[in-house]
Parts: sequence; C-alpha cells; structure tokens
Amino acid sequence: MDQNNSLPPYAQGLASPQGAMTPGIPIFSPMMPYGTGLTPQPIQNTSSLSILEEQQRQQQQQQQQQQQQQQQQQQQQQQQQQATAQQATSQQATQVASGQASQLFHSQTLTTAPLPGATPLYPSPLTPMTPITPATPASESSGIVPQLQNIVSTVNLGCKLDLKTIALRARNAEYNPKRFAAVIMRIREPRTTALIFSSGKMVCTGAKSEEQSRLAARKYARVVQKLGFPAKFLDFKIQNMVGSCDVKFPIRLEGLVLTHQQFSSYEPELFPGLIYRMIKPRIVLLIFVSGKVVLTGAKVRAEIYEAFENIYPILKGFRKTT
Amino acid sequence: MAYQLYRNTTLGNSLQESLDELIQGSLNTYRFCDNVWTFVLNDVEFREVTELIKVDKVKIVACDGKNTGSNTTE
Repeated sequence: MDQNNSLPPYAQGLASPQGAMTPGIPIFSPMMPYGTGLTPQPIQNTSSLSILEEQQRQQQQQQQQQQQQQQQQQQQQQQQQQATAQQATSQQATQVASGQASQLFHSQTLTTAPLPGATPLYPSPLTPMTPITPATPASESSGIVPQLQNIVSTVNLGCKLDLKTIALRARNAEYNPKRFAAVIMRIREPRTTALIFSSGKMVCTGAKSEEQSRLAARKYARVVQKLGFPAKFLDFKIQNMVGSCDVKFPIRLEGLVLTHQQFSSYEPELFPGLIYRMIKPRIVLLIFVSGKVVLTGAKVRAEIYEAFENIYPILKGFRKTT
Repeated sequence: MAYQLYRNTTLGNSLQESLDELIQGSLNTYRFCDNVWTFVLNDVEFREVTELIKVDKVKIVACDGKNTGSNTTE
C-alpha cells in the first residue's frame, strides 16, 4: 500500500487547519478522516470472496481518496492563504511551532517533502482534531502518533457451519467444544486469529490496521468457502481498536487521579496503570508512570488520535520533574 | 453486542503462540479436534545420544490418555 504524493489515508483530513472546518466535504469530517473505505462509501457487497478482488478494491478506494484529497488540498490552500493573512501573529507562531512538530510527524510516517514555493501541506497535522482556540497561543500538537496494535472485527458468513468439519479439514484450527463453542483458526498473513461459530458469525482479532482486518476476515471466509460452505461476507464491522504510544517523560499518576478523579481510577496495588475513561471521545486510556499510554475502545482510528491529543496537554501538566 | 465472552476463555486468547512457532520454528500446521492434537513439522532433527536423524516432514498425532499421552510419528 504505497502512497507516493499524498498523506496516508488516516491523515487526509488533517492536511490543514481548515480541513476540519471546510464545509461541503462530509466524507472527510473531523471525526472520521480515515475510514472512507469502511463507512461513508456506498457499501459494495461483492459476492466473490477473492482476495485479489479485495486488494484491488482497497487500492481503488485509496486512489479515489487521493484524487478527492488533491481537489480538497487545492481548495484548502486558497482558503489557507486568505486565512493566514487575516489571523493574528499568535496563530502564525502556532503554525511555526507545529511546523516543527510536523517534522517529527514526517519522520515517523511520511516520506514526502513540501513542494517548494507552496505553503506546507501539513502545517499542523494534528490540531484539527482538537477544538481550535486561536486566543490561546502554543496549543501545539504533540507530534506523537499513536500506533495501532490490535483491531477486533466481526463478520457474518451468512450460513450455518459444521465446526467439526472445519476443524478436521482446515489447517491451523483448534476446536474443543467442551471448553469453547467455536473453532479457533489462525493465518500467517495478516497475522490474525479468528473465532468461527456454528451460527456462521466470526470474530477476527490481531490485525494492525483496518484494511488488514478486513483482508484477514475475507481470507478466513474463503477458507470456509473452500471447505464447501456457502459463505458470504455480510456486515463486516470493526468493533474495537487498540493503540499505544510513548510521551517520553515520566508521569505523576497520583496527581492526575486527584485532579481528574471523575474520569480516573488508580489502584497501584491492583494494577500499576491509571485507568482514564475519557467521555469525548469515548475512549479508555491506560496511563503508566513510564509515560507509555494505551488507548482502547475506539471504533474508528480518529477517536484514538483525538483522545491522545486531548490527554497529551494534561499529561504534560503532570510531568515528573525529579 | 458484547464480545467479552471469549476473553475469559484461555482458548480465545489471541496471544498467537502457535503462530509464533509457525514463524520462528518449523511448525507447518497444527490441529486440535476431539481431544487429539495433530502437528506437521518440517526439517526436523531427532537427536539421540548415538544417532542423529534428519527428516523433511514429521506428522505427530497425540492423544490424551489416562496414564500418558501417546505419540506416533510417520
């Protein structure tokens, strides 16, 4: 999945500060800059479970997103040039500072450089996710992008399955009905595990991205289909996404639980991490003294990013100084 | 829908230990059905004090017995 000259799909809505505010482009709403492959697009019910078709479909969607992104960028650049002429110097200072932060962003994920002579395409890649308050200077983006570690998704194969047949004929399958009423199957690429139930419903876990989860689910469905069952691919849905990152400084969890007690629970004798239940977006964060943060409970990637951008200034306020 | 039920079962644990073995070692396939484990391994060395036997493919069928699990290799 190479993107040569534009942002990765998940950062497309973040191309400029106005990206979130631009009306008339509902597909790239601030809450879901990525995920156009899954929800806002018209649902393509391909009856074939061919993996090649699935990969082609994913590539086509990425190309469509790139084309739309280019059009959007042209509009945004015009608006941006008008806006920067009018905004206060603090805003420009913010953009300069977050331009530096965007360098960190670049080094982690992007390989393109801004075109010479043009305004940088991503002056503040992560600020659109937070409410923009021009009055407060120095609300910079963190420059840290949480990495997705696990995606859990479900799909309905649309037919009853004989689990014993599947366990006996498929490779890399486990079936112990006394213990658990599903076949546990694994594939190497993408490295995932699936729980397949006799109702025809399936859970797919372990993928590192939304597209990988969908591809893996299709591979499992094809295995079942090849065993002779009339498997379909209905209602694929991502149920949970887990991300993690490192703020690179130690955190005073005691202080955090004192000031945010309606959101936090911290019982070091039970679990060494502070459990922060953010309301908006509805994400649970596990915050550790080392500065590592785990975010879970997201249905879309943007919720993970938004939750981290919300928590980062709070964590900075509780940085350990000793 | 809550998909928490599988988290309590050790079987549903997606630590993917089997897959780790697949990637690192020589485990080709595994199967568990009717309390019988079947493994297929590639490029295996059987080492005894006196002898060394190298095999391209080994199929291990392991059943649970009352005394011990019994193995047959082909």
